[in-house]
Amino acid sequence: MSSAVQIAATPLMDRLIARTVRKRRPLSVHFDLTYRCNERCVHCYLDHEDHGELTTSECINALEQLARAGALFLTFSGGEIFLRKDLEEILTVARRLQFDISLKTNALLVTPERARMLHRLGVRRVQISVYSNEAAVHDAITKVRGSLQRSLAAIPLLQEQGILVKLACPLMKQNLMAYRGVMALAEQLGVPYVLDMTITPMMDGSQEPLEHRVSSEALLPILQDTALQSCGTKALPGAGESLPNFLQNFSPTLGSSVSSGIESNAYEDLPCSAGHNSCYVSPYGDIYACVQLPMPAGNLREESFEHIWENAPALERIRSVRESQLPVCSRCEIRSYCERCPGLAWMEGGDLLGAYERACSLAEQKARIAGAVNPKSAWRSETPESGMSRACPVPASGDSAVRN
Amino acid sequence: MNVAAGGVWQKNPSLAWREIDDETVIISPGESVMHELNDTGSFVWKNIDGQRKAEDLAALLVEQYEVTLETALADTLSLLEELSRRKLLLPAEGGAAR
Repeated sequence: MSSAVQIAATPLMDRLIARTVRKRRPLSVHFDLTYRCNERCVHCYLDHEDHGELTTSECINALEQLARAGALFLTFSGGEIFLRKDLEEILTVARRLQFDISLKTNALLVTPERARMLHRLGVRRVQISVYSNEAAVHDAITKVRGSLQRSLAAIPLLQEQGILVKLACPLMKQNLMAYRGVMALAEQLGVPYVLDMTITPMMDGSQEPLEHRVSSEALLPILQDTALQSCGTKALPGAGESLPNFLQNFSPTLGSSVSSGIESNAYEDLPCSAGHNSCYVSPYGDIYACVQLPMPAGNLREESFEHIWENAPALERIRSVRESQLPVCSRCEIRSYCERCPGLAWMEGGDLLGAYERACSLAEQKARIAGAVNPKSAWRSETPESGMSRACPVPASGDSAVRN
Repeated sequence: MNVAAGGVWQKNPSLAWREIDDETVIISPGESVMHELNDTGSFVWKNIDGQRKAEDLAALLVEQYEVTLETALADTLSLLEELSRRKLLLPAEGGAAR
Protein backbone atom coordinates (compact mmCIF):
# COMPACT_ATOMS: atom_id res chain seq x y z
CA MET A 1 0.00 0.00 0.00
CA SER A 2 1.22 3.46 -0.72
CA SER A 3 -0.72 6.51 0.33
CA ALA A 4 1.92 9.07 -0.48
CA VAL A 5 1.27 12.29 -2.32
CA GLN A 6 2.47 11.68 -5.83
CA ILE A 7 4.60 13.87 -7.99
CA ALA A 8 5.01 11.78 -11.10
CA ALA A 9 7.42 12.31 -13.96
CA THR A 10 4.57 12.95 -16.38
CA PRO A 11 3.17 16.41 -15.82
CA LEU A 12 0.27 16.08 -13.49
CA MET A 13 -2.09 18.14 -15.59
CA ASP A 14 -1.43 16.09 -18.70
CA ARG A 15 -2.22 12.91 -16.82
CA LEU A 16 -5.34 14.49 -15.36
CA ILE A 17 -6.46 15.56 -18.81
CA ALA A 18 -5.80 12.13 -20.29
CA ARG A 19 -7.69 10.46 -17.47
CA THR A 20 -10.70 12.78 -17.56
CA VAL A 21 -10.94 12.46 -21.34
CA ARG A 22 -10.74 8.68 -21.11
CA LYS A 23 -13.31 8.56 -18.31
CA ARG A 24 -15.33 11.39 -19.84
CA ARG A 25 -15.37 13.71 -16.82
CA PRO A 26 -16.25 17.41 -17.25
CA LEU A 27 -13.10 18.67 -15.54
CA SER A 28 -13.55 22.29 -16.66
CA VAL A 29 -16.82 24.18 -16.93
CA HIS A 30 -17.53 27.65 -18.28
CA PHE A 31 -20.75 28.93 -16.69
CA ASP A 32 -22.22 32.20 -18.00
CA LEU A 33 -24.44 33.53 -15.23
CA THR A 34 -25.99 36.29 -17.33
CA TYR A 35 -25.80 37.85 -20.78
CA ARG A 36 -26.77 41.24 -19.33
CA CYS A 37 -23.93 43.70 -19.39
CA ASN A 38 -23.08 47.25 -18.35
CA GLU A 39 -20.87 47.70 -21.40
CA ARG A 40 -21.84 47.51 -25.06
CA CYS A 41 -18.67 46.30 -26.72
CA VAL A 42 -18.86 46.67 -30.46
CA HIS A 43 -17.60 43.14 -31.18
CA CYS A 44 -19.65 41.27 -28.56
CA TYR A 45 -21.25 37.97 -29.60
CA LEU A 46 -24.09 38.23 -27.07
CA ASP A 47 -27.36 40.05 -26.92
CA HIS A 48 -27.80 41.67 -23.56
CA GLU A 49 -31.40 40.86 -22.77
CA ASP A 50 -32.55 38.54 -20.01
CA HIS A 51 -34.47 35.75 -21.72
CA GLY A 52 -35.12 33.89 -18.48
CA GLU A 53 -31.92 33.37 -16.56
CA LEU A 54 -31.52 30.45 -14.21
CA THR A 55 -32.75 31.40 -10.75
CA THR A 56 -30.45 31.27 -7.77
CA SER A 57 -31.72 27.85 -6.76
CA GLU A 58 -31.40 26.59 -10.34
CA CYS A 59 -27.79 27.82 -10.43
CA ILE A 60 -27.07 26.10 -7.13
CA ASN A 61 -28.67 22.90 -8.38
CA ALA A 62 -26.55 23.09 -11.52
CA LEU A 63 -23.38 23.55 -9.46
CA GLU A 64 -24.23 20.56 -7.31
CA GLN A 65 -24.74 18.43 -10.40
CA LEU A 66 -21.48 19.64 -11.92
CA ALA A 67 -19.55 18.86 -8.74
CA ARG A 68 -21.03 15.35 -8.64
CA ALA A 69 -20.00 14.85 -12.26
CA GLY A 70 -16.38 15.67 -11.36
CA ALA A 71 -16.06 19.29 -12.48
CA LEU A 72 -13.19 21.04 -10.69
CA PHE A 73 -12.21 24.11 -12.71
CA LEU A 74 -15.15 26.51 -12.82
CA THR A 75 -15.20 29.82 -14.68
CA PHE A 76 -18.07 32.21 -14.10
CA SER A 77 -18.53 34.67 -16.90
CA GLY A 78 -21.15 36.64 -18.80
CA GLY A 79 -22.32 39.27 -19.72
CA GLU A 80 -21.18 41.01 -16.60
CA ILE A 81 -21.36 38.66 -13.64
CA PHE A 82 -21.57 41.43 -11.04
CA LEU A 83 -25.00 42.31 -12.43
CA ARG A 84 -26.24 39.09 -10.80
CA LYS A 85 -27.49 40.25 -7.41
CA ASP A 86 -27.05 36.70 -6.13
CA LEU A 87 -23.41 36.41 -7.20
CA GLU A 88 -22.15 36.17 -3.63
CA GLU A 89 -24.67 33.44 -2.85
CA ILE A 90 -23.66 31.48 -5.94
CA LEU A 91 -19.95 31.88 -5.16
CA THR A 92 -20.60 30.76 -1.58
CA VAL A 93 -22.08 27.52 -2.88
CA ALA A 94 -19.25 27.08 -5.39
CA ARG A 95 -16.79 27.43 -2.51
CA ARG A 96 -18.71 24.93 -0.39
CA LEU A 97 -18.54 22.51 -3.32
CA GLN A 98 -14.74 22.98 -3.47
CA PHE A 99 -14.52 24.25 -7.06
CA ASP A 100 -11.43 26.04 -8.29
CA ILE A 101 -13.09 29.35 -9.16
CA SER A 102 -12.15 31.86 -11.85
CA LEU A 103 -14.12 34.89 -12.99
CA LYS A 104 -14.28 36.88 -16.22
CA THR A 105 -15.50 40.43 -15.79
CA ASN A 106 -15.07 43.98 -16.98
CA ALA A 107 -14.49 44.83 -13.29
CA LEU A 108 -16.50 48.07 -13.43
CA LEU A 109 -18.40 47.01 -10.33
CA VAL A 110 -15.47 45.72 -8.28
CA THR A 111 -15.23 47.57 -4.98
CA PRO A 112 -12.92 46.97 -2.02
CA GLU A 113 -15.77 45.13 -0.29
CA ARG A 114 -16.41 42.92 -3.30
CA ALA A 115 -12.69 42.20 -3.70
CA ARG A 116 -12.60 41.04 -0.09
CA MET A 117 -15.69 38.92 -0.72
CA LEU A 118 -14.02 37.25 -3.69
CA HIS A 119 -10.97 36.44 -1.59
CA ARG A 120 -13.11 35.13 1.25
CA LEU A 121 -14.95 32.84 -1.15
CA GLY A 122 -11.75 31.45 -2.64
CA VAL A 123 -11.84 33.01 -6.09
CA ARG A 124 -8.38 32.25 -7.42
CA ARG A 125 -8.23 34.25 -10.62
CA VAL A 126 -10.03 37.14 -12.31
CA GLN A 127 -9.73 37.91 -16.01
CA ILE A 128 -10.48 41.51 -16.95
CA SER A 129 -11.16 42.73 -20.47
CA VAL A 130 -8.88 45.61 -21.46
CA TYR A 131 -8.80 46.76 -25.06
CA SER A 132 -6.13 49.42 -24.87
CA ASN A 133 -4.01 51.39 -22.45
CA GLU A 134 -5.60 54.51 -23.97
CA ALA A 135 -8.98 55.46 -22.58
CA ALA A 136 -10.22 56.88 -25.85
CA VAL A 137 -9.66 53.57 -27.65
CA HIS A 138 -10.91 51.33 -24.85
CA ASP A 139 -13.98 53.43 -24.06
CA ALA A 140 -14.92 53.68 -27.73
CA ILE A 141 -15.09 49.87 -27.88
CA THR A 142 -17.03 49.43 -24.63
CA LYS A 143 -19.18 52.50 -25.32
CA VAL A 144 -18.88 53.45 -21.66
CA ARG A 145 -16.98 56.63 -20.88
CA GLY A 146 -14.49 56.14 -18.06
CA SER A 147 -14.62 52.36 -18.33
CA LEU A 148 -10.86 51.86 -18.74
CA GLN A 149 -10.14 53.89 -15.64
CA ARG A 150 -12.69 51.91 -13.64
CA SER A 151 -11.49 48.53 -14.93
CA LEU A 152 -7.88 49.36 -14.09
CA ALA A 153 -8.82 50.68 -10.65
CA ALA A 154 -10.11 47.23 -9.77
CA ILE A 155 -6.78 45.51 -10.38
CA PRO A 156 -4.94 46.62 -7.22
CA LEU A 157 -8.05 45.92 -5.17
CA LEU A 158 -7.97 42.31 -6.35
CA GLN A 159 -4.20 41.99 -6.09
CA GLU A 160 -4.30 43.23 -2.50
CA GLN A 161 -6.51 40.23 -1.78
CA GLY A 162 -4.02 37.83 -3.32
CA ILE A 163 -6.22 37.15 -6.35
CA LEU A 164 -4.46 36.51 -9.65
CA VAL A 165 -5.45 39.06 -12.27
CA LYS A 166 -5.11 38.56 -15.99
CA LEU A 167 -5.82 41.02 -18.77
CA ALA A 168 -7.68 39.83 -21.85
CA CYS A 169 -7.47 41.92 -24.99
CA PRO A 170 -9.53 40.88 -28.00
CA LEU A 171 -7.97 42.51 -31.04
CA MET A 172 -10.10 44.14 -33.69
CA LYS A 173 -9.88 46.96 -36.19
CA GLN A 174 -10.47 49.57 -33.48
CA ASN A 175 -7.53 48.54 -31.28
CA LEU A 176 -5.20 46.45 -33.39
CA MET A 177 -2.06 48.45 -32.77
CA ALA A 178 -2.92 49.00 -29.11
CA TYR A 179 -1.56 45.56 -28.27
CA ARG A 180 1.89 46.90 -27.42
CA GLY A 181 0.29 49.32 -24.99
CA VAL A 182 -1.65 46.50 -23.36
CA MET A 183 1.55 44.47 -23.08
CA ALA A 184 3.30 47.41 -21.43
CA LEU A 185 0.34 47.97 -19.14
CA ALA A 186 0.37 44.31 -18.09
CA GLU A 187 4.08 44.46 -17.36
CA GLN A 188 3.62 47.63 -15.37
CA LEU A 189 0.86 46.02 -13.33
CA GLY A 190 2.73 42.74 -12.98
CA VAL A 191 -0.07 40.69 -14.47
CA PRO A 192 -0.28 38.22 -17.35
CA TYR A 193 -2.31 38.96 -20.44
CA VAL A 194 -3.77 37.32 -23.49
CA LEU A 195 -4.22 38.87 -26.91
CA ASP A 196 -7.13 37.26 -28.71
CA MET A 197 -7.44 37.51 -32.47
CA THR A 198 -10.80 35.72 -32.46
CA ILE A 199 -13.91 37.71 -33.18
CA THR A 200 -16.88 35.36 -33.50
CA PRO A 201 -20.39 35.61 -34.92
CA MET A 202 -23.14 36.35 -32.41
CA MET A 203 -24.80 33.54 -30.47
CA ASP A 204 -27.86 33.90 -32.69
CA GLY A 205 -25.72 33.38 -35.78
CA SER A 206 -25.59 37.03 -36.79
CA GLN A 207 -22.33 37.89 -38.57
CA GLU A 208 -22.41 41.52 -37.44
CA PRO A 209 -19.37 41.37 -35.09
CA LEU A 210 -17.22 40.08 -37.95
CA GLU A 211 -17.13 43.54 -39.52
CA HIS A 212 -14.76 44.48 -36.70
CA ARG A 213 -12.42 41.56 -37.38
CA VAL A 214 -8.94 42.36 -38.63
CA SER A 215 -7.82 40.66 -41.85
CA SER A 216 -5.14 38.02 -41.50
CA GLU A 217 -2.82 40.22 -43.57
CA ALA A 218 -3.23 43.08 -41.13
CA LEU A 219 -2.32 40.74 -38.28
CA LEU A 220 1.13 40.13 -39.73
CA PRO A 221 2.93 42.64 -37.49
CA ILE A 222 1.53 40.85 -34.45
CA LEU A 223 2.25 37.36 -35.72
CA GLN A 224 5.81 38.48 -36.40
CA ASP A 225 6.31 40.27 -33.09
CA THR A 226 9.05 38.39 -31.29
CA ALA A 227 8.06 39.98 -27.99
CA LEU A 228 4.94 37.82 -28.05
CA GLN A 229 6.96 34.64 -28.25
CA SER A 230 9.44 35.41 -25.49
CA CYS A 231 7.33 35.38 -22.36
CA GLY A 232 7.96 32.23 -20.33
CA THR A 233 6.01 30.57 -17.56
CA LYS A 234 7.18 31.56 -14.13
CA ALA A 235 7.36 28.64 -11.76
CA LEU A 236 5.84 29.41 -8.42
CA PRO A 237 7.48 28.18 -5.24
CA GLY A 238 6.07 25.36 -3.20
CA ALA A 239 5.53 21.65 -3.37
CA GLY A 240 3.25 20.15 -5.95
CA GLU A 241 2.98 21.22 -9.54
CA SER A 242 2.46 24.79 -10.66
CA LEU A 243 -0.70 25.08 -12.64
CA PRO A 244 -0.27 25.30 -16.37
CA ASN A 245 -0.94 28.18 -18.64
CA PHE A 246 -4.67 28.12 -18.76
CA LEU A 247 -4.91 28.31 -15.02
CA GLN A 248 -2.01 30.50 -14.15
CA ASN A 249 -1.28 32.29 -17.33
CA PHE A 250 2.06 33.92 -17.12
CA SER A 251 2.82 32.47 -20.49
CA PRO A 252 0.41 32.56 -23.40
CA THR A 253 0.19 35.92 -24.98
CA LEU A 254 -1.83 34.86 -28.01
CA GLY A 255 -4.87 32.72 -27.42
CA SER A 256 -8.54 32.64 -26.60
CA SER A 257 -9.98 35.01 -24.04
CA VAL A 258 -13.40 33.42 -24.35
CA SER A 259 -13.03 29.66 -24.14
CA SER A 260 -12.34 28.12 -20.76
CA GLY A 261 -11.31 24.77 -22.14
CA ILE A 262 -8.00 23.32 -21.11
CA GLU A 263 -5.18 23.65 -23.58
CA SER A 264 -2.73 20.78 -23.63
CA ASN A 265 -0.89 18.39 -25.90
CA ALA A 266 -2.53 15.53 -24.02
CA TYR A 267 -5.54 15.55 -26.34
CA GLU A 268 -3.45 13.94 -29.07
CA ASP A 269 -5.85 13.29 -31.99
CA LEU A 270 -8.75 15.24 -30.48
CA PRO A 271 -9.33 18.81 -31.67
CA CYS A 272 -9.61 20.23 -28.14
CA SER A 273 -11.22 19.69 -24.77
CA ALA A 274 -14.77 20.64 -25.84
CA GLY A 275 -17.23 17.88 -24.99
CA HIS A 276 -14.45 15.58 -23.81
CA ASN A 277 -13.54 17.08 -20.45
CA SER A 278 -15.01 20.56 -20.67
CA CYS A 279 -18.35 22.13 -21.40
CA TYR A 280 -20.37 25.33 -21.27
CA VAL A 281 -23.52 26.28 -19.35
CA SER A 282 -25.56 29.23 -20.59
CA PRO A 283 -27.54 31.58 -18.29
CA TYR A 284 -30.66 29.71 -19.42
CA GLY A 285 -29.36 26.26 -18.55
CA ASP A 286 -28.37 25.23 -22.06
CA ILE A 287 -25.42 22.85 -22.22
CA TYR A 288 -22.94 23.19 -25.07
CA ALA A 289 -19.56 21.57 -25.59
CA CYS A 290 -18.03 25.06 -25.60
CA VAL A 291 -19.17 28.67 -25.74
CA GLN A 292 -17.58 28.73 -29.19
CA LEU A 293 -19.36 25.52 -30.21
CA PRO A 294 -22.96 26.25 -29.25
CA MET A 295 -24.51 23.14 -30.72
CA PRO A 296 -27.42 22.53 -28.29
CA ALA A 297 -26.91 19.38 -26.23
CA GLY A 298 -29.73 19.81 -23.74
CA ASN A 299 -31.16 22.06 -21.06
CA LEU A 300 -30.86 21.71 -17.30
CA ARG A 301 -34.48 22.72 -16.85
CA GLU A 302 -35.53 19.63 -18.76
CA GLU A 303 -32.86 17.03 -18.05
CA SER A 304 -30.15 16.35 -15.53
CA PHE A 305 -26.60 17.34 -16.36
CA GLU A 306 -25.52 13.73 -16.09
CA HIS A 307 -28.13 12.62 -18.61
CA ILE A 308 -27.16 15.36 -21.06
CA TRP A 309 -23.43 14.79 -20.64
CA GLU A 310 -23.74 11.04 -21.11
CA ASN A 311 -26.41 10.88 -23.79
CA ALA A 312 -26.69 14.05 -25.86
CA PRO A 313 -26.30 13.25 -29.58
CA ALA A 314 -24.64 16.65 -30.15
CA LEU A 315 -21.90 15.81 -27.66
CA GLU A 316 -21.47 12.33 -29.11
CA ARG A 317 -21.04 13.85 -32.54
CA ILE A 318 -18.43 16.32 -31.29
CA ARG A 319 -16.60 13.54 -29.43
CA SER A 320 -16.37 11.46 -32.57
CA VAL A 321 -14.20 14.02 -34.37
CA ARG A 322 -10.56 13.08 -34.86
CA GLU A 323 -8.01 15.45 -36.31
CA SER A 324 -6.49 12.70 -38.43
CA GLN A 325 -9.84 12.04 -40.08
CA LEU A 326 -10.81 15.56 -41.04
CA PRO A 327 -11.68 15.27 -44.73
CA VAL A 328 -9.74 18.31 -45.92
CA CYS A 329 -7.58 19.52 -43.05
CA SER A 330 -5.91 16.15 -42.42
CA ARG A 331 -4.32 16.45 -45.90
CA CYS A 332 -3.22 20.05 -45.43
CA GLU A 333 0.50 20.65 -45.81
CA ILE A 334 0.48 23.65 -43.50
CA ARG A 335 -1.63 21.98 -40.81
CA SER A 336 1.08 22.49 -38.20
CA TYR A 337 0.61 26.25 -38.49
CA CYS A 338 -3.15 26.06 -38.12
CA GLU A 339 -5.18 26.65 -34.97
CA ARG A 340 -8.41 25.32 -36.34
CA CYS A 341 -11.26 25.52 -33.84
CA PRO A 342 -14.09 23.01 -34.38
CA GLY A 343 -16.59 25.52 -33.02
CA LEU A 344 -15.57 28.22 -35.45
CA ALA A 345 -15.52 25.64 -38.24
CA TRP A 346 -19.14 24.94 -37.42
CA MET A 347 -20.20 28.54 -36.88
CA GLU A 348 -18.31 30.08 -39.78
CA GLY A 349 -18.04 27.21 -42.24
CA GLY A 350 -21.16 25.31 -41.27
CA ASP A 351 -19.26 22.03 -40.93
CA LEU A 352 -17.84 20.60 -37.75
CA LEU A 353 -15.34 18.63 -39.82
CA GLY A 354 -14.59 21.30 -42.37
CA ALA A 355 -12.04 23.98 -43.03
CA TYR A 356 -12.92 27.64 -42.68
CA GLU A 357 -11.41 30.67 -44.26
CA ARG A 358 -10.09 32.41 -41.18
CA ALA A 359 -8.07 29.46 -39.91
CA CYS A 360 -6.72 28.72 -43.39
CA SER A 361 -5.60 32.26 -44.08
CA LEU A 362 -3.98 32.64 -40.64
CA ALA A 363 -2.15 29.35 -41.14
CA GLU A 364 -0.93 30.60 -44.51
CA GLN A 365 0.35 33.78 -42.91
CA LYS A 366 2.19 31.86 -40.20
CA ALA A 367 3.68 29.45 -42.71
CA ARG A 368 4.84 32.39 -44.81
CA ILE A 369 6.50 33.97 -41.76
CA ALA A 370 8.21 30.64 -41.09
CA GLY A 371 9.70 30.71 -44.57
CA ALA A 372 7.30 28.66 -46.66
CA VAL A 373 7.06 29.82 -50.28
CA ASN A 374 3.53 30.64 -51.36
CA PRO A 375 1.89 28.38 -48.77
CA LYS A 376 -1.64 27.22 -49.52
CA SER A 377 -4.02 25.42 -47.26
CA ALA A 378 -5.55 22.20 -48.54
CA TRP A 379 -8.91 23.91 -48.84
CA ARG A 380 -7.51 26.68 -51.02
CA SER A 381 -5.52 24.18 -53.08
CA GLU A 382 -8.56 22.04 -53.69
CA THR A 383 -10.95 24.87 -54.54
CA PRO A 384 -8.84 27.11 -56.77
CA GLU A 385 -11.77 28.38 -58.77
CA SER A 386 -13.35 30.12 -55.81
CA GLY A 387 -10.43 30.60 -53.50
CA MET A 388 -11.12 31.32 -49.89
CA SER A 389 -13.88 33.78 -50.44
CA ARG A 390 -16.47 31.26 -51.51
CA ALA A 391 -19.75 30.82 -49.70
CA CYS A 392 -19.88 28.53 -46.68
CA PRO A 393 -20.40 24.83 -47.30
CA VAL A 394 -23.91 23.56 -46.73
CA PRO A 395 -24.15 22.27 -43.16
CA ALA A 396 -24.32 18.52 -42.73
CA SER A 397 -27.75 17.09 -42.17
CA GLY A 398 -29.15 18.04 -38.80
CA ASP A 399 -26.64 20.81 -38.28
CA SER A 400 -27.28 24.45 -38.11
CA ALA A 401 -24.62 27.08 -38.01
CA VAL A 402 -27.18 29.37 -36.46
CA ARG A 403 -27.06 29.17 -32.72
CA ASN A 404 -30.12 29.54 -30.63
CA MET B 1 7.54 18.18 11.73
CA ASN B 2 6.28 15.19 13.65
CA VAL B 3 2.64 14.26 13.38
CA ALA B 4 1.25 12.45 16.40
CA ALA B 5 -1.07 9.48 16.09
CA GLY B 6 -3.51 11.18 18.43
CA GLY B 7 -3.58 14.44 16.45
CA VAL B 8 -6.73 15.70 14.76
CA TRP B 9 -6.65 17.45 11.39
CA GLN B 10 -9.01 19.23 9.10
CA LYS B 11 -8.80 20.06 5.40
CA ASN B 12 -7.66 23.59 4.66
CA PRO B 13 -10.98 25.29 3.86
CA SER B 14 -9.46 27.44 1.12
CA LEU B 15 -8.63 24.46 -1.09
CA ALA B 16 -10.32 23.39 -4.27
CA TRP B 17 -10.40 19.65 -4.68
CA ARG B 18 -12.21 16.87 -6.41
CA GLU B 19 -12.10 13.10 -6.22
CA ILE B 20 -12.14 11.81 -9.77
CA ASP B 21 -12.33 8.05 -10.12
CA ASP B 22 -10.54 7.18 -6.87
CA GLU B 23 -7.83 9.79 -7.28
CA THR B 24 -7.96 13.24 -5.76
CA VAL B 25 -6.74 16.50 -7.24
CA ILE B 26 -6.16 19.38 -4.83
CA ILE B 27 -5.41 22.99 -5.68
CA SER B 28 -3.92 25.51 -3.30
CA PRO B 29 -5.39 28.79 -4.49
CA GLY B 30 -2.83 31.05 -2.87
CA GLU B 31 0.09 29.41 -4.61
CA SER B 32 -1.79 28.10 -7.66
CA VAL B 33 -0.24 24.71 -7.08
CA MET B 34 -1.86 21.40 -7.89
CA HIS B 35 -1.41 18.19 -5.89
CA GLU B 36 -2.56 14.66 -6.52
CA LEU B 37 -3.42 11.77 -4.22
CA ASN B 38 -3.61 8.17 -5.34
CA ASP B 39 -6.47 5.87 -4.32
CA THR B 40 -5.31 5.15 -0.77
CA GLY B 41 -4.30 8.78 -0.25
CA SER B 42 -7.74 9.76 -1.49
CA PHE B 43 -9.33 7.31 0.93
CA VAL B 44 -7.52 8.93 3.84
CA TRP B 45 -8.23 12.44 2.51
CA LYS B 46 -11.97 11.99 2.27
CA ASN B 47 -12.07 10.57 5.78
CA ILE B 48 -10.27 13.56 7.29
CA ASP B 49 -13.17 15.35 8.90
CA GLY B 50 -11.77 17.38 11.77
CA GLN B 51 -12.81 14.62 14.17
CA ARG B 52 -10.82 11.51 13.35
CA LYS B 53 -7.32 11.02 14.71
CA ALA B 54 -4.50 9.46 12.70
CA GLU B 55 -5.07 6.18 14.45
CA ASP B 56 -8.77 6.29 13.47
CA LEU B 57 -7.82 6.88 9.85
CA ALA B 58 -5.35 4.00 10.00
CA ALA B 59 -8.06 1.74 11.38
CA LEU B 60 -10.29 2.65 8.43
CA LEU B 61 -7.45 1.78 6.06
CA VAL B 62 -7.13 -1.63 7.69
CA GLU B 63 -10.83 -2.24 7.10
CA GLN B 64 -10.60 -1.17 3.47
CA TYR B 65 -7.24 -2.57 2.38
CA GLU B 66 -5.23 -5.66 3.18
CA VAL B 67 -2.68 -4.03 5.42
CA THR B 68 -1.53 -4.32 9.01
CA LEU B 69 -2.41 -1.63 11.50
CA GLU B 70 1.27 -0.89 11.99
CA THR B 71 1.84 -0.26 8.28
CA ALA B 72 -1.40 1.66 7.93
CA LEU B 73 -0.53 3.95 10.82
CA ALA B 74 2.98 4.58 9.55
CA ASP B 75 1.67 5.44 6.07
CA THR B 76 -1.11 7.60 7.49
CA LEU B 77 1.29 9.58 9.65
CA SER B 78 3.61 10.03 6.70
CA LEU B 79 0.76 11.26 4.53
CA LEU B 80 -0.58 13.62 7.18
CA GLU B 81 2.87 15.06 7.68
CA GLU B 82 3.29 15.66 3.95
CA LEU B 83 -0.16 17.19 3.59
CA SER B 84 0.46 19.38 6.60
CA ARG B 85 3.81 20.51 5.23
CA ARG B 86 2.04 21.53 2.04
CA LYS B 87 -0.58 23.40 4.09
CA LEU B 88 -3.35 21.20 2.75
CA LEU B 89 -4.23 20.22 6.28
CA LEU B 90 -4.61 22.36 9.36
CA PRO B 91 -4.86 21.35 12.99
CA ALA B 92 -8.51 20.88 13.82
CA GLU B 93 -9.99 23.53 16.02
CA GLY B 94 -9.99 22.27 19.58
CA GLY B 95 -7.98 19.22 18.57
CA ALA B 96 -4.32 18.63 19.34
CA ALA B 97 -2.89 17.91 15.93
CA ARG B 98 0.60 17.20 16.99
